Amino acid sequence: MTTVETPAVVQEVREPWLSETARVLLKRLAACLFGGVVLAIMLNSYEGSQDDFGYVFHQAVLQPRIFVFLAIGVVIFALITFWSHVRQYARRPGVLPMFVGVIVVIVALAIMNWYDPRADVQGSSKFSKIRKLVDQTPSGVLKQTTTLFFDGWLSWGLLGLGLVVCSAAIISRWRPLGYLAALCGVAGAVFAWMADSDILRVGGGIDHSLGVYTAVCGFLILACAGVIAATSRAEVADWRGFWQRIMGYRPGLPFVVVGVVLGLFAYGRDCWFAPLQRNLSFAESADAYSGTDITSLASNYLDWLGWTLFGGVAALTLAATYLRNRLLGWIALVASAVGVLLTFLTLKSMTEVAAKVVPAYGTKWNNLGAGAYLACITYGLFAVAAVYVVARNGRRQSATDANALPVTKAVVQARGSANAKALILLALVLAIFYPPMLSPFWQNVLVSEVSVYLLLAVGLNVVVGWAGLLDLGYIAFYAVGAYTTAYLTGSLPLKPPSWLHMTPLLTIPFAIVACLIAGVLLGTPTLRLRGDYLAIVTLGFGEIIYIIAINNPGKFTNGPQGVLVPHASLHIGSFKITWGQDNLPYWYLLLVLLIIVIVLFYRLENARLGRAWAAIREDEVAAQAAGVNTVRAKILAFAIGASTSGFAGAFFATQVGFFDPTLFTIFASILIVAYVVFGGMGSLPGAMLGAAVLTWLPEFLKSQVPTDDRQMWVGVLVLAMMIFRPAGLLPARRRKAELSGMDAPSSSEVAAVPRAGAA
Amino acid sequence: MLAASQSQDWFHQLPQNIVIGLEQGSLYAVVALGYTLVYGVLQLINFAHSEVFMSGAFGSFLVVDQIVGNRHLTGASVPLTLLVGMLSGAAVGASVAWLLEKVAYRTLRRNGAPKLAFLISAIGASLFLSNLAGKLFGRVQSVPFPEYFNLNHRVFSIGSADVSLIVLIIVVSAVVMMVFLDRLVNTTKLGRSIRAVAEDAPTAALMGIDIDKTISRTFVIGGALAGAAGFLFGTAFGVGNLMGFTPGVKAFAAAVLGGIGNIRGAMIGGLILGQAEVLVAALPFIGAQWTDVVSFVVLVLILLVRPTGILGERLGRAA
Repeated sequence: MTTVETPAVVQEVREPWLSETARVLLKRLAACLFGGVVLAIMLNSYEGSQDDFGYVFHQAVLQPRIFVFLAIGVVIFALITFWSHVRQYARRPGVLPMFVGVIVVIVALAIMNWYDPRADVQGSSKFSKIRKLVDQTPSGVLKQTTTLFFDGWLSWGLLGLGLVVCSAAIISRWRPLGYLAALCGVAGAVFAWMADSDILRVGGGIDHSLGVYTAVCGFLILACAGVIAATSRAEVADWRGFWQRIMGYRPGLPFVVVGVVLGLFAYGRDCWFAPLQRNLSFAESADAYSGTDITSLASNYLDWLGWTLFGGVAALTLAATYLRNRLLGWIALVASAVGVLLTFLTLKSMTEVAAKVVPAYGTKWNNLGAGAYLACITYGLFAVAAVYVVARNGRRQSATDANALPVTKAVVQARGSANAKALILLALVLAIFYPPMLSPFWQNVLVSEVSVYLLLAVGLNVVVGWAGLLDLGYIAFYAVGAYTTAYLTGSLPLKPPSWLHMTPLLTIPFAIVACLIAGVLLGTPTLRLRGDYLAIVTLGFGEIIYIIAINNPGKFTNGPQGVLVPHASLHIGSFKITWGQDNLPYWYLLLVLLIIVIVLFYRLENARLGRAWAAIREDEVAAQAAGVNTVRAKILAFAIGASTSGFAGAFFATQVGFFDPTLFTIFASILIVAYVVFGGMGSLPGAMLGAAVLTWLPEFLKSQVPTDDRQMWVGVLVLAMMIFRPAGLLPARRRKAELSGMDAPSSSEVAAVPRAGAA
Repeated sequence: MLAASQSQDWFHQLPQNIVIGLEQGSLYAVVALGYTLVYGVLQLINFAHSEVFMSGAFGSFLVVDQIVGNRHLTGASVPLTLLVGMLSGAAVGASVAWLLEKVAYRTLRRNGAPKLAFLISAIGASLFLSNLAGKLFGRVQSVPFPEYFNLNHRVFSIGSADVSLIVLIIVVSAVVMMVFLDRLVNTTKLGRSIRAVAEDAPTAALMGIDIDKTISRTFVIGGALAGAAGFLFGTAFGVGNLMGFTPGVKAFAAAVLGGIGNIRGAMIGGLILGQAEVLVAALPFIGAQWTDVVSFVVLVLILLVRPTGILGERLGRAA
């Protein structure tokens, strides 16, 4: 429509019956209500059938529940319309913790397990199941509060009351209200704890389910929100400033506090040894093991050394933190390491003797409880605090050259800071000591879903995030890697010559090389194309590989039946490890490989090649003019990404022991792109976080959301991410630095990052 | 000896296969028009176009099913039903495309997002739409349309090739749509503004063209064509929530083949791709299970040899 027609005529027609504002409001209301209807269709448990195409629509929309969704639409409409009024309250201190607390409590009450399923609660032991159990139990057995808590109104009532009172406190700024909200939170936490203990007393044993812990944490966060609302007078919340003030007061202090709390749990409450149906705490384990031929170190550890060690390291770290003494910090670091080592030696001794304590057990590491690992995490937290003390004065000053570009400054500063070191240590501690505490199901998810996709996302991040090339056939390289491994281990109908036959671990380099070659072969002709053409060509490549895998030409791929691959093993002289059905050993193998890959990529990002990629991504013509060999850099990005994918494929094939072509559909490729985009394109931690969260979430919500709907939610997530936060969860540091360091956005890509990200 | 008889078969079946290729190719061409229009105006691949096609098919299915039910149509009601089906498909396709532009493209355009962001948001929208349809209507490969007339009724023969009713309908309506679009873009005021935006959007804005409106209308036109094509496709091959993906990618390949951004190029590309796919897959040493690979290989080859396609790019210049 051109505006050759005079605008005056148009206005004359519209003015009489609706003003401009009214039209905008009406449009917005219609959009919000429509959104509510779409949400109603998305959020239901019905699946369509070809017999009646209207069935789901009737069940989802033409029912009373539609009013709930329309109400949500109206609330959103009101929020958008009155945002200028809401905004001043929404930025006040306490709002964020309030919402986080409420969401955590809702998750705990609605989704998480409250009792260990191995005990006598039949089936899944969610909150609602426990409630049914409470209903059946005679009231004399359970206390009144427990009945009240699980019967509904006390738990949800405390949550609602806390939310309302806290909101009122934030809006009115009246102190007593804030303290009242805090009281609600604390009361909720106490009741949750009491109710859970009561259930445990009836059911017996110590459980490992996270429901009650999450609920308690959520209520306590709500309480914190109340306290913040009562004490803080600031108009705008300043989290970073608050954290910096604490860390400036005594560096690492919060970590010591959390460590002490966790340690008390580990040594006081949690289970250390789990023979059959009984869970023995630290002291009970000491009783069980007294008199057996456990090593003297272990018996001493169980007797008195454990508590002493914990107290000693805690006191040492506290002193180091309080006095800010670097020497003491080093000593605390060493002491934490000794604590971990002694705990481990004790564990080893316990597993070796376990068969004598309970005859049904062999010498495997699977009859231990969470306590010892929790203790190790505690020592890890002390070490993190010590790192803050030790690295306090770091290289921060010396690295900053006055003439350096703002971008370089920010990158260099962040690399050497204590924060980064401490965070890396924390991540490592959690990666090593948390998985043994998980149930077998979650260990399996961790190894065969989360970490494999994490590796894929890290690889794709090189292609999409750093070099800016959209690869929609990324999973094809994964397939190439998997089939290479299968071929070389002789698992395919087409056998390799006998001199080429090898063990699974040995095939990994060959799989990497095969994918490297495939990447170069595909990349050399296609990378001269423009970005969007490249996307389609890679998509075509992915489809071709998938069709080849299905069609089984030359009996190479074994078609849709899939392939069985032997498990990995390692023989070096007399040293021999075999990875079998157990997931945990695979996790540690993968962790080592993952760390190698991540360190390599991290070094690559700021190397010459990484900077060349950034230049190409921002402006290819300018990069070429500046002397970057763009084609070579792009092919390298493609090949490096491909080889990572092949590595993941080879690993997956040996770990699971079976794969078939359904793994290599186009949807898998898109899913990995979604992980990278969600986490933050071009940011290594972002890509890892994105992959971890998005692979974990569907498993977590398995019983809540139908599995078939997964792709739909991924689609919505990607769409929403692109609209509201194109830079991802953890935006790349380089982009952030570019934003804060220079005045004007230098390219459309930088301009796409929302302004809030610059703060 | 065997190979010789097989290649004889290929020659024997050639006329019939050309007719099938014409049927496929004209469907690809109509869908390709949507890709070409959007690419010409925005210089980006509308990845969710295949889902517009799919929703057009489902929309027309619901309408036709409501009207016809299980009856068998005769006489004048056959063309009437066809017209209603095509119009309802076009209406649904147009409204889905309109919504798509509003949600997945306009917000990003306002933020000045990079091209990659558009592509990814389109992928998200595509994933969402196809699975929402799966949730609403069941996740099955293909549901046949109600059989309201004899589709495979032979109308006439050219040599040894039989032309069935559905082929005739598809080819004729595809040609009508293409001519309509060609006239629309070349002769009307709306077409002029589309061409102006494709040529140079900022200058077009200075000349008083509302860019947002023009882009929105471009999407609506492309969506209407895709929706109508969805109805035709559904009548011939059935509907399913994943029906859009393969024809979508092939239509894109057709658009690139003809020169993306070029309307006549899309038509020619679609027809050539349809023929190539059917004829190459019919070769004795290839086989039908490799049909999908053919079009991808064709796409890759064109992009390598002549990335601007047969007729060259640019909606503004070449249309």
